[in-house]
Amino acid sequence: MSKRVLTVDDDSDISIFVKTVLEENGYTPLVARNGETGLAIARDEGPDLIILDVLMPKQSGIRMYRELKTDESLKNIPVIILSGIAKRTFLRSQEALTEFGDQSIPEPDVYIEKPVEPLELAETVKGLIG
Amino acid sequence: MKDKKLLFVTQFEGLWFDALQSLMDLRKAGFNHTVFLHVIERDKVAMHRGKGYLKDEEVKLREMANVRFIDWAESLFEQGMEVGAYIVVGNPLPKIISTAAEEDVDLIVTGRHKKGKFEELYGGSETLEILERTSTPVLVYKYMLPSGKVNERPFEVPLLTMDWSPASEKAVEYLLSFKDVLKKVVAVHVINEKEFKSTSAMEIQSLRKENKQKLDEVCSRFEKEGIEAESHLYVGSTFEQIEKAANEREASMIVAGTTGKSPLKEMFLGSVATKLTKHSMLPSLLVPASVKL
Repeated sequence: MSKRVLTVDDDSDISIFVKTVLEENGYTPLVARNGETGLAIARDEGPDLIILDVLMPKQSGIRMYRELKTDESLKNIPVIILSGIAKRTFLRSQEALTEFGDQSIPEPDVYIEKPVEPLELAETVKGLIG
Repeated sequence: MKDKKLLFVTQFEGLWFDALQSLMDLRKAGFNHTVFLHVIERDKVAMHRGKGYLKDEEVKLREMANVRFIDWAESLFEQGMEVGAYIVVGNPLPKIISTAAEEDVDLIVTGRHKKGKFEELYGGSETLEILERTSTPVLVYKYMLPSGKVNERPFEVPLLTMDWSPASEKAVEYLLSFKDVLKKVVAVHVINEKEFKSTSAMEIQSLRKENKQKLDEVCSRFEKEGIEAESHLYVGSTFEQIEKAANEREASMIVAGTTGKSPLKEMFLGSVATKLTKHSMLPSLLVPASVKL
């Protein structure tokens, strides 16, 4: 059975692009449009990998990532952040949330700033889940 | 405690990042989640004779908005805030209403948009339509200083206009939910000349006393929460006197309850809400009677 990858992005063009790259490389894509539904799918489906945008409606990737990494059943799923938001901002925002009393969480496995080439994305996914 | 949400509607002509930054003080009142909304007006990309739908133009406008939102979002994320964004094509009013509903926001912030001649005739009606169709308060932001800069703390000294309607009572309750941001509240009631039905000095003094007592009761509610409050009675035309009071008392914002009448009715009745959105130099916070607290 092919490995399942959840992609969470509100931009339909990016979502279609990622879905196509995944399918062409033998993975089964699962798609969500925001962090709220992304988290629900992650809990229901337990994907092998999550590709996560940051700036989205309802719930951002920053909060969704924090929820993933503080949930015992989800925290070991590798995460690729794929976003227009800079990595430095992502890390600083997590530090700010930790300062406000939330627990410290690890950095994402891979951080890619948009845009990404199909080959780079495919190789990154392969490097993480084979 | 659940984060309160602020919907920041910008067409990049009336509201910029400095306006947004000036609202960051609202975090003390629980507003930790900001949602950006930019509506690409349909006529900018819709079918044009001989050209069809301008898809390239839509992509360009989307990306321009996206670049701005990413920059703004980075600043807010780094402060530990939660941020979301919508860039949509359509008519602004229904998009504002649907996004406010989808995100279940607690406050909508809009600018005063540039309008054509027809729209100018109905100036302010867009805001009133939002208030009629949602139960969410609306802050109409203004670039009040001649320099084009915003007041850095619009919630610091609000002028609260009281007409003793259920809507103005809701405005009191809503403003109290910002107690950690307020420095001083100026409660004002305007006695309209029409109210002087009698020429009896005694009756006029009774009217003054009754209204002053009610204002002082409002002030007590704020003082109980540790907020300085003062009450003032003005006499004359309501909107002009509110503006005068705001100027004399150095208010940073005007707060008013709204009835939720249709924009057309409001316009013909010459409501204070219409005049505030259209003419006031200060930001105006309009609270519908149906607001959920």
